[in-house]
Amino acid sequence: MIQVSLSRIGVVALRVVRQLKRDRRTIGLIAFAPIVLMILFGYALSGEMSGVALGLVDEGGHPALRSHLEGIEDFEILRLGSESDAELLVSQGRLNGAVVLQPEEVRVLLDASSLQISQAILAAAQSGAQKEAASLQRPGVVTTRYLFGYDLEMMDTVGPAILGLVVFFFTFINAAISFIRERSQGTLEKFMVSPLSRVEIVLGYVLGFSLFTLLQSTTTLLVVTFGFKVPMRGNPLTALAVVLLLGAGALVLGSFLSNFARSEFQVVQFIPLIITPQIVLCGVWWPMQSIPEFIRPISYMLPLTYAGDALRAVMLKGSSLTEILFPDLLALAVFFLVFFAAATLMLRRQVD
Amino acid sequence: MASEEMGPAISARGVVKSFGQLRVLDELTLDIPRGVTYCLLGPNGSGKTTLIRAIVGLLKLDAGDLKVLGTPVSRVQEIYSKIGYMTQHKALYPDLTLQENLEFFAGLYGIGKQEREQRIVELLKMVNLQGLSRRLAGALSGGMYQRLSLACTLIHEPELLLLDEPTVGVDPRLRQTFWEYFERLASDGKTVLITTHLMDEAEKCRIVGYMKAGKMTAVGSPDEIKRQAGLKPHLELWLKDIESDCARLRAEGYEIEILDGVARLRLESHKQIKSVLEIVSPLDMRLKEPMLEEAFLQLSEAA
Repeated sequence: MIQVSLSRIGVVALRVVRQLKRDRRTIGLIAFAPIVLMILFGYALSGEMSGVALGLVDEGGHPALRSHLEGIEDFEILRLGSESDAELLVSQGRLNGAVVLQPEEVRVLLDASSLQISQAILAAAQSGAQKEAASLQRPGVVTTRYLFGYDLEMMDTVGPAILGLVVFFFTFINAAISFIRERSQGTLEKFMVSPLSRVEIVLGYVLGFSLFTLLQSTTTLLVVTFGFKVPMRGNPLTALAVVLLLGAGALVLGSFLSNFARSEFQVVQFIPLIITPQIVLCGVWWPMQSIPEFIRPISYMLPLTYAGDALRAVMLKGSSLTEILFPDLLALAVFFLVFFAAATLMLRRQVD
Repeated sequence: MASEEMGPAISARGVVKSFGQLRVLDELTLDIPRGVTYCLLGPNGSGKTTLIRAIVGLLKLDAGDLKVLGTPVSRVQEIYSKIGYMTQHKALYPDLTLQENLEFFAGLYGIGKQEREQRIVELLKMVNLQGLSRRLAGALSGGMYQRLSLACTLIHEPELLLLDEPTVGVDPRLRQTFWEYFERLASDGKTVLITTHLMDEAEKCRIVGYMKAGKMTAVGSPDEIKRQAGLKPHLELWLKDIESDCARLRAEGYEIEILDGVARLRLESHKQIKSVLEIVSPLDMRLKEPMLEEAFLQLSEAA
């Protein structure tokens, strides 16, 4: 018999908020960690560049584009006989990229491991093709091939994902530590002998933490969109909904895993196990295509994969709530429900 | 139901609980009437905490029948709002103020704002923490922390109080206040079950249950316990002519030993003092009541 009282959930939520509110360091972390990460990923990785080694395979048809590329001072052009030569040299890292000019098509081969350089090459090829198209009165077709494969601007890709990552990280660690404390300071045992049910405990936490997730998401979104000019084409509220669902998932995961740690110190040891795989495998920093197939199923089990995808869809493509419902929101909801059940079951009444 | 209302607060019949090979509760049988202060005493590892945790339904029993306020322990969660449970952990939030801690626990029991505020003022006064309600609980000393924990346990006016070592770290004067409060609760019909290692506290309870190796080995008022242990009061006599006076008393059937020039006479009852004084006229005398501690030492050796 499960009786859920909204007022008791509220009592737990209020307590969680009061505790977090008093923890200035955590508040600072909530507000500034996303900004620091953003600066690290956004600015530190970009910068002026010169001496870009570019291969050029000219099979005819684009004299204007060719001379445009040759005219760029930053590029050192190496003429090559065939596309396969270019491919080899790019994949060996001896060229930063190559442009293959064919009468019907212009292909740009890019080394995805150096994103900023790839972007410079692509931008040059595109602007050259545009100029040429304007003078020839026909559309210039530029296709891109990534040899390691990136396809979006760094900050645009990373911004939404950082939002998800920071929320996940913060909520997971704080929830796990909070539940460890509930256990060690004896309050959990006291709850077990009170009208407060396990469902109410966990829901109270979800509610209390959601307030901080909202605060964090709002500041991060402001920095991402106004500071870093990442587009916000969709509804910001849709983005917040995604983040709240992700945060709720992180909370119940933290609560569940706190059963397997004896101290706060051990919770910190979960970071490489829980957080790092999400960064590596969520398909943001390293694209899904570059992840070996036998590992990919793990990617599809991680909430950040879906949250990152949904946030990018909302922010960059302007997707609506219904458009990201499947699979992203559904996957996040399933993740939450599974670990909500696991977390409440682990808060056992009978402690044998 | 009248029978449930009038029955014992806690009634255990043949309760068994084992952890692996270790039988912590061994066919324990016990009745705790309503409206008393009941002290659970016993050496470390005798199963006191296990018994309390079984009473609140935190442990699944292997066998036996256990009723709490007339409700079978399997359904004890239905009456959690009538139980106040204080563990040896203090079960408080150090990063909340005293007021916030009390508000939180009041909220769990659905106590309305007005009643809550009134209770908080009253309880903070009882535990002598008034005026500190805005202070963080983490900034309190050990004894103060303990007192706050007790206040949080009492916030919903439970009918049955289960207190695992509630007075650890509390100074003697305040401990006296606690005991007066517990006594008052008992007079109001509430039941207070306390575990303690302190004998002088056990003496203040109406009933003392002595637990050893998972069984109740002695139950009764402190006086009854002493009688069960076969402990009697002693009369110490300072006599002018110790040898001849003692000989006369022995002739009347009194047991006497002489220690450092003082005659120690074992009394069967306090009435005997009068007849002793008819036989001898001591220079000085002193009545020594047996200590509860001695009773338990005896009982635990015997069991």
